[in-house]
Amino acid sequence: MTGKNILEMRGITIEFPGVKALDGVDFSLREGEIHSLLGENGAGKSTLIKCINGVNRKDSGTILLDGREINPSGPYEAMTLGISTVFQEVNLCPNLSVAENIFVGRQPMKHGRINWSEINRRAEELMSRFHLDIDVARPLSYYSTAVQQMTAIARAVDVQAKILILDEPTSSLDENEVQLLFSVMRQLRDSGMGIIFITHFLDQIYAVSDRMTILRNGHLVGTYNINELGKVELVTKMVGKDMDVIFSLKRANVPEDSPVMLKAENIGDGSRIDDMSLTLRKGELVGFAGLLGSGRTETAEMLFGATRAVHGEIFVDGEKVSIRTPFDAIQAEEAFCPEDRKRDGIIGDLSIRENIMLAVQSRKGFMHPMTRQEQTELADKYIALLGIATPDCEKKAGELSGGNQQKVILARWMATSPKVLILDEPTRGIDIGAKAEIQRLMLEMCGEGVSVIFISSELDEIIRCSNRIIIMRDRAKVAEVDGASCTQQDILRIIAEGAA
Amino acid sequence: MAGKRFDVAGLMQSKVTWAVIAEALILLVCFVIRPDFFSISYQPSTGMLYGSLIDIVNRSAEITIISMGMTLVIALGGTDLSVGALVAVAGAIALKFLRWDVLTYTTPGDYTVYPYILVIAVPLVVCALMGLFNGFLVAKGGIQPIIATLILMVCGRGVAQILTDGKQFTTGYSPFRVIGQGSFMYLPMPIIITVIVVVAVALFTRKTAFGAFVESVGVNPSASRLSGIKAGNVILLVFMITGLLSGIAGLIYSSRIMSNDSNNAGLNFEMDAILAVVIGGTNMAGGKFSLAGTVIGSLIIRTIVTFVYYFGIVAEATMAFKALIIAVVIVLQSEPVRKYFARRAAMKGGAGA
Amino acid sequence: MKNRQTLLTRITNPKYIMVYATIGIFLVIYAAGGFLYGDKGFLTLRTFVNLFIDNAYFGISAVGMTMVLITGGIDLSVGAVASLTGMFIAYGTTVLHLHPLTCIAAALVMGVGLGLLMGWVIHYLNVPAFITTLTGMFLARGVCSLISRESIDIHHPMIDALAGWKIYLMKFADGKWVRIRPIAFVNFNVLLFLVMIIIGAFILQRTRFGRNIYAIGGSEQSASLMGLPVGRTKVLVYGFNGLCSVLAGISYALYVKSGWNLSLQGGELEVITCAVIGGTLLTGGVGYMIGTLFGVLLKSVIPALITFNGNLLSWWGKIATGLLLLLFICIQRFVVTSTGRRKS
Repeated sequence: MTGKNILEMRGITIEFPGVKALDGVDFSLREGEIHSLLGENGAGKSTLIKCINGVNRKDSGTILLDGREINPSGPYEAMTLGISTVFQEVNLCPNLSVAENIFVGRQPMKHGRINWSEINRRAEELMSRFHLDIDVARPLSYYSTAVQQMTAIARAVDVQAKILILDEPTSSLDENEVQLLFSVMRQLRDSGMGIIFITHFLDQIYAVSDRMTILRNGHLVGTYNINELGKVELVTKMVGKDMDVIFSLKRANVPEDSPVMLKAENIGDGSRIDDMSLTLRKGELVGFAGLLGSGRTETAEMLFGATRAVHGEIFVDGEKVSIRTPFDAIQAEEAFCPEDRKRDGIIGDLSIRENIMLAVQSRKGFMHPMTRQEQTELADKYIALLGIATPDCEKKAGELSGGNQQKVILARWMATSPKVLILDEPTRGIDIGAKAEIQRLMLEMCGEGVSVIFISSELDEIIRCSNRIIIMRDRAKVAEVDGASCTQQDILRIIAEGAA
Repeated sequence: MAGKRFDVAGLMQSKVTWAVIAEALILLVCFVIRPDFFSISYQPSTGMLYGSLIDIVNRSAEITIISMGMTLVIALGGTDLSVGALVAVAGAIALKFLRWDVLTYTTPGDYTVYPYILVIAVPLVVCALMGLFNGFLVAKGGIQPIIATLILMVCGRGVAQILTDGKQFTTGYSPFRVIGQGSFMYLPMPIIITVIVVVAVALFTRKTAFGAFVESVGVNPSASRLSGIKAGNVILLVFMITGLLSGIAGLIYSSRIMSNDSNNAGLNFEMDAILAVVIGGTNMAGGKFSLAGTVIGSLIIRTIVTFVYYFGIVAEATMAFKALIIAVVIVLQSEPVRKYFARRAAMKGGAGA
Repeated sequence: MKNRQTLLTRITNPKYIMVYATIGIFLVIYAAGGFLYGDKGFLTLRTFVNLFIDNAYFGISAVGMTMVLITGGIDLSVGAVASLTGMFIAYGTTVLHLHPLTCIAAALVMGVGLGLLMGWVIHYLNVPAFITTLTGMFLARGVCSLISRESIDIHHPMIDALAGWKIYLMKFADGKWVRIRPIAFVNFNVLLFLVMIIIGAFILQRTRFGRNIYAIGGSEQSASLMGLPVGRTKVLVYGFNGLCSVLAGISYALYVKSGWNLSLQGGELEVITCAVIGGTLLTGGVGYMIGTLFGVLLKSVIPALITFNGNLLSWWGKIATGLLLLLFICIQRFVVTSTGRRKS
């Protein structure tokens, strides 16, 4: 833990047109440490990372690797210098085998030909170091995201890296996979590698890192040992103001006699979920807790018709409805923010206006178009209401930050004035400020009588916001607990052990 | 000031701008070489206007009509390779109905064996159904459009040949001649049909929300579905429209030659139509589309050909000449070049301020 | 639980399913042909070898096309470039009285140069491959017509010798080698086709260049982040495809012994069809030379069957090819959904 510095960055400044993304930032990484890099979106974390691996050119400052100045021109040159990066989205080729993904571009050769048996043997060795016993000759797409993530790390590690940069590697992993990743990280640290770790999950930072560096608005806030700083202090330093907003959120007040808004009886999709029942009262917020793959998303998709329920019945506002497609669900005044914002939510090349009016328009049908003026008024209303940061409603939605994109999707659904709103991981991958705001909006809507289903991997936000919590495990509901009186430990125990 | 500067840069970024500039330049060159290129005269015997400009619009009718549908297909992120084959199928069916039993009606003349309504309606319905088949493969089978439509491209001409037993019929039926060679309000009939089609497609896409749905599905089908758009139906409808428009183009084509030609009718039309759409500024990856741009793209392609004929450049050179001009347009429209000009324009504006 | 590689996992690796499907369907159709027309000699070696002789030029072009498709691109210019090669040879030898090798050299410079140029435009100017190569096709076709609009016969001793050269298939009988009956032989085109398939397979499976082609097809963005030379690889692939088009043109010229500006019209789509029914995905990233070899055979066995039938119009061939394409697309669709979603 007291190894010498392998990487030192001094006075790094990077300017983009109109903004200073980094302003005189110092950063150092020691041999054999896991160093977390923290900050809200736009604080400059990724800019700093991209400066180290050469994607962004710095305007001033120096980078020293083992005391020698370096100026990598791109990820490839950085890799040859011993700096490997694993990006947030797995940047590998799904059609190539696991082994080949590790070695492509530097395959061992024999008699001028690629030596396949050597590739497979070495890949097998590497993967077994990570406790993965798999057929490395199968295509990468055959395996889960976790294995793909490990493959990316194996590739990064095998190039004799001195520095490994992990940019949000855990965002799509479940708890067990995260633990596996952590044990690999510790193993690499103990062998002397310096690891830079970026994540939005605060717990993970405390679980695995030795030191942390906090950035805010392109400035360095400070570098601390992990035991120097508590969670609240950390968050305060990240946002630069006290996080009263988050901690002062009040869960919705649901009167006893509030009518049932959504009722599902024994629904199942014939393969993944078999028999699921739930009720949701007017103005109530029900949280779904459970690990990734526990059936949370599958249930939500069924309630919205994204996948079809082959049996069971769904009632909205007391009426039995037949929901076979999302269109039917929208007619029944449901709304759904999907988990994968980029793939299923935002329509990047279209403007904010078009993104917002889409669900309203599709409910009306295309033969009853909204005029341009109606669309603009609608969009402007929600831009103001949700505080979406944009010059006007004609900006492409794809150019917004993650938090603002999430608000656009929320606006799309709020515009339909739904009775039931289903939110699947609406706060994933966005910074703490935006998170707090989304939670606030959610609770406000409950106050206006909308019933909300809220799915999240972060237990503390589920507990903070929910009236009731449904706990899922192994694709079934195992328990339902009261949001006001349960604790994180209770829920974790149920998730781990089954029914209460 | 800043707003105006942004506009210049934005305009230079737009592909449609470059298409308009290209068309204007080609016409300018024509005018400089031969000022009478623009002259239009009235021919009382046929009741039609004549001139190079009229000819360009008239002869581009088939491609313009097809590319209206193709624009929507490309906005969905696909391509339809089968349109040329459908042109051949439409012609074959029309002539089949005009001359049903060649053994009985041995000589072509001013008659039709089956009612005229069938001669027109059946090819259109069949082409629309074939378009629907393409759409079905894409929407329900989840097959890449380029492959799905390759099937009909490969076997469409075979179907046309079998319908006519591999024979070429001719006809002299005058109501059929009107479609491709008649006139209305001093203008050749194909121009009138083209205008009607363009206006109809424009109204249908822009005065309803259909255009927005097409763009949305083209950018992100999954998100569009979850927003309640019936993406499958949008795809089906777009391919069906394209099939129908190919049928209309096929009737115009076969009326021009008063015959069916299953080998050559509509040959390479799919290529020209795709080219017209792309030159017109619609991105092949899908998303925003411009029908006006497509019309200009189609005109550019035809202007080049007319240019070559008009100036008596050897007809053999047409193809090579066309390729060269298209290459120039495409390079000018390419992203790096457009960005370069946009930067220049922005810098100039900045210096001016 | 060990999950290591064994012979069984190697054979059942899902990436080979499409190749198996191609080979399987070819065998089924071939067997059906044997059942229907066995008495007319469908099963003889001669018929089989003729499949190669009549389609070698498609096959040679399909080698390059397979690589282009694996990168996720497409090349529509191959038919026109092959046709232009034929025009070079015909016009050069018959009208200009040049040596065929000079003409071939000129054609190689033309074909490879055009390929490299198109590759450069596609990658560095970011113009869709479809549009770039379509323009290339118009250009090559246009130059064909500029050279001549008439078909030109080729008469040159070297061309005659090359076209006439053949190896008879022999069998060992009664203590000596005799030609098999009915006579079957392999000519220069067939050898060129097989050699190109082997070269193509070697490049794809055993060189870094070849593996980069797959990586680019899988995800171009990832490939460049992994430090692979994306631009260079793409440009070279189109250049190599240009080379294949020229070789296909030479082979076609030897086959018909003439050059015509309208020859091989639509050839590009036939070649693409061969690759697709050989298991190559138009989305890129998947494809094998052995699949392409059988794709060519599969596509050529249909006209052969129609010839053997004797009563069917040749147009049925087009329809049958279309149906075959449909069948393959459905299989691919099924394979993609069943393996793509399975996660261990």
